[in-house]
Amino acid sequence: MPPMLKFIIRRLLAVPLTLLVITVVLYGIVMLAPIEARVSLYEPRGGKSRNPEALRQHIIEEYGLNDPYPVQYARWAFRLLQGDWGWSPLLRADVLEALVARTPATVELTLYSVLLLVPLGLASGVVAGWRPGRPADHGFRLIAFVATSIPPFILGLMLLGIFYVGLRWFPPGRIDIADSFVVTSPSFNTVTGLLTIDGLLNGRLDITLNAFRHLALPAITLGLAHWATLGRVTRAAIIEERTKEYITAARGRGLPKQTVVWRHALRNAMIPGLNSTALSAASLIMGVFVVEIVFQFPGISELATLSWAYTPGAAAAMGFAVYSVLLVLPLMFTLDVIQGIVDPRIREGIAER
Amino acid sequence: MKSLLRFFSRIQNLLAVAIIALYTLVAIAAPRLAPPQDPENPSPFRVASVDTTTSRHIPLPPEPGLPLGTAPGRLDVFYTLVWGTRSALRFGLTVALTTACVGISIGAVSAYAGGLVNRLTLRLTDTFLAFPVIAGAALFRLVLYPVNPQDPMTPLQSLLSSLDVGPVMLTLILFSWMSYVRMVNAEIAKLKQVAYVQAARSVGAGHLRLILRHLLPNAISPAVVLIGRDVGGMVILRAAFTFVGIGARSPWGHLLAMGRDWIIGPNGNLVQYWWVYLPVTLALIFFGIGWNLLADGLNSVLNPRGPHQRLW
Repeated sequence: MPPMLKFIIRRLLAVPLTLLVITVVLYGIVMLAPIEARVSLYEPRGGKSRNPEALRQHIIEEYGLNDPYPVQYARWAFRLLQGDWGWSPLLRADVLEALVARTPATVELTLYSVLLLVPLGLASGVVAGWRPGRPADHGFRLIAFVATSIPPFILGLMLLGIFYVGLRWFPPGRIDIADSFVVTSPSFNTVTGLLTIDGLLNGRLDITLNAFRHLALPAITLGLAHWATLGRVTRAAIIEERTKEYITAARGRGLPKQTVVWRHALRNAMIPGLNSTALSAASLIMGVFVVEIVFQFPGISELATLSWAYTPGAAAAMGFAVYSVLLVLPLMFTLDVIQGIVDPRIREGIAER
Repeated sequence: MKSLLRFFSRIQNLLAVAIIALYTLVAIAAPRLAPPQDPENPSPFRVASVDTTTSRHIPLPPEPGLPLGTAPGRLDVFYTLVWGTRSALRFGLTVALTTACVGISIGAVSAYAGGLVNRLTLRLTDTFLAFPVIAGAALFRLVLYPVNPQDPMTPLQSLLSSLDVGPVMLTLILFSWMSYVRMVNAEIAKLKQVAYVQAARSVGAGHLRLILRHLLPNAISPAVVLIGRDVGGMVILRAAFTFVGIGARSPWGHLLAMGRDWIIGPNGNLVQYWWVYLPVTLALIFFGIGWNLLADGLNSVLNPRGPHQRLW
């Protein structure tokens, strides 16, 4: 079997394991709460019951909520696998359906933030680190320091104040109201759910541009802090790489400087940065949720923030917790695979990561 | 001693110590700077008593007796700023030190055990890395904390309430020990092969003594740096959670949430109601900067040859 395929299979096997561990922990903690918490996890579809006490008793018996933990967990996990994630009374919707319906917005925001921050982070780290102490390096370190010092939610507020209220360039939300009618109309084919791509597929360039206008501020807010971290790590790595012998040898053989920097040095220096980004994928997704809330971007964070205000929607919160892991894992996986492509040692499983 | 001198020879490190000292002083002197109405059980918020006919939802500008004016709801900004410092320091230190203790012990013991145990532990640690903290906070807030104070509590609930651990603190402790495990683990795995450890073992040092006396002191410095960074990071996370409405009761975050509609004044004027958001924002930012600078300074002293020296 080619090593790359083996590597990918090994990484894929980590996915069910991660889901298992996290659901075991989450359901375990819910077991330590009063039985009411679990009752609200199994709230039936539809409206209120006229007799809440009888309903409560019924749920406890029906789902065996007094059974030992492993039995309950297994039953609950099996229901998740079958697609029964419970009912949210506040959203008046099936939890899984509500999550899936909001996924494209979250994915679109995450996708463009990552596409923005990873290349820029690597490039600025290389430019700053190749000649440390030069003006470019000082400039990068200053900007990176400021970028990591400002909490994203405050940065988001400031950007909204300047570019939306002040200049009226970039509005919050996901798309203008007028365009939202176009997008939901039957003549508009929803293929991917990503408005920027569907707009192009339907030949509506204006929709794509409008979606990008709404994406700009959240993506920048989200990307900035992670860009700075990635840039710093890459800078430190390239400072180490640039004095190594293979670089001197390559220069000595007469290879142009640009080739040496961007093809030889970067290839080795991008591993620590990509690795740290993969390890902080969860915090990136968390940042996505915070930014969604600040910019009123209708992604899956709505399930956590809408359900918090009124009567507990435990099923929605639980679904949100499990589902957000499903968002983190593909991101981690992609970054891992890129590392495997770039570095044969990781692919072969020799290098300690 | 020499490393202490080296630490203070850099202006950034002096600045870091000065910033943290200032926050600590404010936290200690809070009852004097902003006397609470109920000294026994001080609340981080105070409604200013002023004689005006303006609606209580409109922020009042600074005036004598109200150094930083009021936020909507007539909340005294200066008062919350001062008491929020106390709350922030307590929260940041508690979370950072607890997670560090948990992570370092797991990492050290499993690296010492080595072999299959260690591989399994690291595998498990990695699975936790895929969980976004915010989802845990949103869930535990709903299921673990009683809606009615009269309801009977489970053992876990009474433990949490007696320790005054809220949902966000609990989630942060449960889901952020992983980096400590990885860090300490990598260091100890390296050290185990070094001659002095082998020598200590050969003269009959016990497991506990080996870990505590010989391995940990030499493996802990990257973790110390991380603790410094985490104190600021956790406080900022908490404020962000409060701001987006997932609880955490951060006084600073709450003040920002109350004032968020006033950040932009009429005609996009950002400075008209500056006192509503600027002092709190700066307090948060400098809190983060102080601890970050301290961590970087410690890093260059403790790990002089590390790959990440002088990150900025």
